[in-house]
Amino acid sequence: MLKKLFALILIGGLGLIFFQLYNQRSRREGLTKTASYYTEKGPAETRSANIVTSVVVTYRGLDTLGEVTILFAAASIIGFFLKRSEKGSKDKTIRNQSSELLQTGSMLLVPLIFLLGIYVFVNGHLSPGGGFQGGAIIASGTVLAFLANPSFEGGRTLIHILESLSGMFYVGIGVAGIFLAAGFLDNRIFPTGNVGSFISAGAIPVIYSIIGLKVGAELSAILYSLRDTKEQQ
Amino acid sequence: MINPIYIVAIGLGTAFSLGLLRKLGKEFSFWVTIFALGAMAFISGHWLSAFLSHQITSTVITTAGGKAPFVIVFNMGMTEALFSFMVTMGAVFSGFYLHDRLIESGPSAMAVLLAGTMGLNGIILTGDIFNLFVFMEISAIATAGLVLLVSDFKALQAGFKFMLASGIISGLLLLGIIFLYNSTGTLNISELHSKAGVILKSGGVATYLITIALLLELKPFPANGWGVDLYEGAPSGVSAFIASSSATAAFFVFLKVLPLGGDISLRIAAAAGISTFVFSNLMALSYKNTSRLLGYSSIGQLGLLVGIAGLSKHLGDKTLMIILTLLGTHYLAKAGLFWLSGIVKNPNTDEWRSLRKSPVLFAFFGVFIFALLGFPPFPSFFGKWELIMGLVATKMYWWAGAILLGTMFEGIYLFRWFSRALKLQNNDTATPAVTIYSILPVVFFGFFLFYAGYYTSTFVPALRVMCLAPLLFILLLGLLDFLPAFLKNIISLAGVTAYIVYLWPHIQGNTFKIVFAGIFLGGAILALIAGFYRRGKHMGFYPMTMLMFLGLGILVDASNLLELFYGWELMTIGSYFLLIRGERSLPHGLSYLLFSLGGSLAMLFGFALAHASSGSVDLSALNHIRIMPALAYSLMLAGFMTKTASLGLHIWLPGAHGEAVADIHFMASAILLKAGVFGIILVLGGMGNTQPYAQKILFVLGWIGALTALIGNIGAAFQESAKYLLAWSSIGQLGYIVFGLASMTHLGWLAAYGYTITHFLYKGILFLLIGGVAFRVGTADMYKMGGLIKRMPFSFFAVLIAIITLAGIPPLVGFTGKWLVYNMILSKHLFYQGVVIIISGVIAFLYLFRLIHVIFLGQLKDRNRKVKEVYVWLLIPAYLMLTAIFALSMFPDMMLARLGRMLTPSFPEGALVWDGFTASSRYGTFNLQIIMAVIGATFAAVFLWLVFANRKAQKVKQFNIFYSGEAPSRPELTHYGYNFFAHYRKAVGFMATPLVTRFWDQLSQGLHGLSSYGRAIYTGNAQSYLYHIVAFVVVVYLLSAGGIS
Amino acid sequence: MIHIALAGGALLIFIGIWGMLTKKNIIRIIIGFSLFDTGLHVVLVGLGYLKNRTAPIVDADLPAKAASSQSVDPVPQAIVLTAIVIGLAVTSVLLVFALKLYQSKNTLDINKLRDNTND
Repeated sequence: MLKKLFALILIGGLGLIFFQLYNQRSRREGLTKTASYYTEKGPAETRSANIVTSVVVTYRGLDTLGEVTILFAAASIIGFFLKRSEKGSKDKTIRNQSSELLQTGSMLLVPLIFLLGIYVFVNGHLSPGGGFQGGAIIASGTVLAFLANPSFEGGRTLIHILESLSGMFYVGIGVAGIFLAAGFLDNRIFPTGNVGSFISAGAIPVIYSIIGLKVGAELSAILYSLRDTKEQQ
Repeated sequence: MINPIYIVAIGLGTAFSLGLLRKLGKEFSFWVTIFALGAMAFISGHWLSAFLSHQITSTVITTAGGKAPFVIVFNMGMTEALFSFMVTMGAVFSGFYLHDRLIESGPSAMAVLLAGTMGLNGIILTGDIFNLFVFMEISAIATAGLVLLVSDFKALQAGFKFMLASGIISGLLLLGIIFLYNSTGTLNISELHSKAGVILKSGGVATYLITIALLLELKPFPANGWGVDLYEGAPSGVSAFIASSSATAAFFVFLKVLPLGGDISLRIAAAAGISTFVFSNLMALSYKNTSRLLGYSSIGQLGLLVGIAGLSKHLGDKTLMIILTLLGTHYLAKAGLFWLSGIVKNPNTDEWRSLRKSPVLFAFFGVFIFALLGFPPFPSFFGKWELIMGLVATKMYWWAGAILLGTMFEGIYLFRWFSRALKLQNNDTATPAVTIYSILPVVFFGFFLFYAGYYTSTFVPALRVMCLAPLLFILLLGLLDFLPAFLKNIISLAGVTAYIVYLWPHIQGNTFKIVFAGIFLGGAILALIAGFYRRGKHMGFYPMTMLMFLGLGILVDASNLLELFYGWELMTIGSYFLLIRGERSLPHGLSYLLFSLGGSLAMLFGFALAHASSGSVDLSALNHIRIMPALAYSLMLAGFMTKTASLGLHIWLPGAHGEAVADIHFMASAILLKAGVFGIILVLGGMGNTQPYAQKILFVLGWIGALTALIGNIGAAFQESAKYLLAWSSIGQLGYIVFGLASMTHLGWLAAYGYTITHFLYKGILFLLIGGVAFRVGTADMYKMGGLIKRMPFSFFAVLIAIITLAGIPPLVGFTGKWLVYNMILSKHLFYQGVVIIISGVIAFLYLFRLIHVIFLGQLKDRNRKVKEVYVWLLIPAYLMLTAIFALSMFPDMMLARLGRMLTPSFPEGALVWDGFTASSRYGTFNLQIIMAVIGATFAAVFLWLVFANRKAQKVKQFNIFYSGEAPSRPELTHYGYNFFAHYRKAVGFMATPLVTRFWDQLSQGLHGLSSYGRAIYTGNAQSYLYHIVAFVVVVYLLSAGGIS
Repeated sequence: MIHIALAGGALLIFIGIWGMLTKKNIIRIIIGFSLFDTGLHVVLVGLGYLKNRTAPIVDADLPAKAASSQSVDPVPQAIVLTAIVIGLAVTSVLLVFALKLYQSKNTLDINKLRDNTND
């Protein structure tokens, strides 16, 4: 009880800090200097219709590379951590088969979900959405595949290859920016085209596609690792 | 120059590609990882070398082809290059060290290491505050992953706590970042720095959140339980990585962001940092788990650095130097210790004794410990010096005091750990499993620590090259340690001789320095001659002996306080390793080391006050200190008195000296103690006796001297071991010297100098020969000896002369000292002290009589019937000193007149008046030659009479005795020398009971009690740790709310 | 709007912290963390909102020239995207830790999941 009281007092203290934070915030009418630059110059410089995408993939591309890395690190950790502690228990847990309905339905839906995911990330420079969203949709396809068939084994190698290759391509495109354009992750290594058309924004859709594949692969890899964990009674 | 972006590109590219390289085998992946880390280190290294050679200036590297502040930029300056290089090198070596575990866990784990290192580099290089957040998250998640390289529960729960804690911390950071963006409109750190005005107006709380989050990453007390558990739970290679690489990066970003918050942030940093330093080290006292100790120590060191950053306004342009030296030492030493802990495997401190089975690693263990505590020649020595000087110069006394206190705490547990590992017997332990992967990083970092020390010292103008040259010689000796002892002895003799040749022009004409150089270096020669008696290799002895002697040489040669302190600390290290060589020296060696550490910290504070009031570190700074002079002089005196073993600070001596073997005992007692005298003379010379505070200090000092003389002599009278007897006797003799000096009169100082020289001579003889006797007989217990005069006539004669001198009996030179002291007592009317001195003089007769009587006279023991005379190599130096005693006795003016001339400028009053060999004071005259003639004649007459009177005496066989009806229950009771002064013990024994020992014991228990309160904080419960974090944020906010705009 | 977003976000943060500080079950603690994280994201986006403005995507309704005067701040949106993914990664690792902790001690009670081997 005392513990809860303390927690309440502490949260009250935090509330005080947050209230001050709220009081101090600047009540802007317009955009900040940085945001104005992105909205004014962004479409012209990157030729990406989606300004958020131009910020995410180009201006702050390093952040995005970083977050891909975090996902990658998380997937790797979960991979080696779960795999290693599962050593010695080779016996495959027998899992119940799912219902016929789910199995059949998934055969139809999984490819469609994958397709939707791909659609979302290749259009990331034009519309809301992008690599992460697309990747997450693809991973949800994997979930469905697992639900339909708990001992589903397909694509395991493909996932690992995609995981590595897409990461390497991402870094490679970034480095290419140093040589072919003005800096790391500069999107102008490809022709930039016109704002709003599908082939536009230089490397942005390429990078976003790579991210989409990578995120999909990482999340699927995590799902694989978790699926392989031995159930405990 | 190579674009630093490639550090990121190489790290990530390799991490991603490892998945494809799976087919080529794990070893291949491992080497690819190491190679990639090496390439990353190369990039920052080549920037660093360009900066160091002043070829380039700081640059900003933009990404995405845009311009700052709208795109993420990397900053590359000298500090960035250095920190990034350190971080990556730490990863290279930790990765190398983790070979087996990485192979076991596979390429994914290697990828995590690469990603983590890349993240740390990003933290250092990035110029964007949100990007910083991203890189911090990368390194956090990678750290959690690396912890899982071992799969025990400890690692598991440590990693979980860490993830939770860093989750909440980074949430606060994110909140701060977005509100800061809201108020300033930028995320670029350089631009944020230029918007101090805006931040002041509307970004105060946001900045507070950022600062406190970055501070929490550095694990401030008490919100750091998760941090300690992380260090403890992680595999040692990973802990090394966290302590060196991660901590370095986290500290750098804290430095980078700290100025945003203005003065209030600095104050928070100072308070949180220094209290973390003090309390982590206090907490560590009650633990025995090495990883946990190292964790506390790491957290403490980082706290110190945070505190220094907070105090940067006071330290001025020295701040960076202090930070880099302390951080660099911590980085190298802590990584090394964590690596070693992986080699030892068993987490208990005492189990480190098994490390002795690989002496090279053990040597590095010592190097790391001494480096952490700021001993020379390591970089932290200079950092600690500048830190305390700087703080005291700006009147930050409490901060400086707290830092010294924290260092003392750290010293207690690190030295306890080290000396137990050094001395506990280790026959039953396994030899540590050493592979090339585990040993190479340790050796490399260990050597680099020396290089870093050298490199730092080239930036310290106050330290001359001649203070470094001896270290090279010692290094050489260390490398030649495989040679037989006599060869190393010859090399050492050559080294001492060379140093004397170098030193002579510097001290020529300075009687004060000549006296002490004579004792220190002349003593070194004598000790080394005695050293020829040794057989075998005697590993480790010579480097440490030379370290002590050359440290003493530097002490005499010192032209400023820094050099003085430098020499003093070197001498302390060397002497510790000599004293601890005795069989049962463990507790005594440790207490010697702790007293020495405490003494040198006190001294450091005193020096800092001297420096603060004069503005220079020259020796003349000791004259007439203006700032808190009473404290300054007292601290310095206390510091030096730890070495003279004055009352209260003496408890380490009897054990430490009593357990030492002959020549080491000689070095420790006859020579080493004089270093303290040297220091006291310097301090008193600077203080003078005119100021009121000086008179008070001198009054206390005089009493300390007198009582030390009494206690020392009483203690000596009750010893059974001849060595302990001599050790106690040294305490007493040093008491006379302190008493003489405290009088601040011509005669008192003359007596003190006289005692200093003669004590060296007669104690030298006694230590060498009694030690030699004990070696031959196999014990130092006097009741097991007796009648040895027949087996060892040469020793007997020398010892006889020595104790006559010691007792101050005419006609030998010891009488001079006594005569001078009594004259001084009369002239100063110090009657109470005088009584004490006289009583202790009488007691000295008692134990000296016993010494010669019980050992050499009486009945020869059966088992000693075949013992040989003491080694000739011990007799040679003893007889050399004997010659000196005779010379000084015949021509006392040779010494006294010259000393008198030296003292006259400082103490013109009351000088002796010399007329030929006759000296006169106010109270009488004294001519040792006449006395000698008279006594000689009397002695001859009595002797002849005895020969004549006993001409009919009958010789009795040794066993023609009986026990007078008493039935002795134990064999030693049959020896009259056992418990020789039992009746006196009944009467005055209470004075010898170690009241002082009890005081120090209780202090130590109190500290440990305080420390174990800490367990209430460090419960191991993840949820409590979250409480602490949130509470820390709230409480610090409330405490500083007035300052946060 | 902004007030609702900020207040709602703060509320989520408080609920999350409450959960982390008071719940015994580590799965609930992790849920607490998730709520805390989500609250942060709401605050992030809310702070970038400007009244009567639209999403920063250039299309027929938002010509490039009018973007800076008619769109909301794209920076918090970009940042929150990154933050969400980071939160996802952290949560997944936390959950795997929880799984392993459960497997080794057969409990999810945080008070029992600590190491008592300290001397």
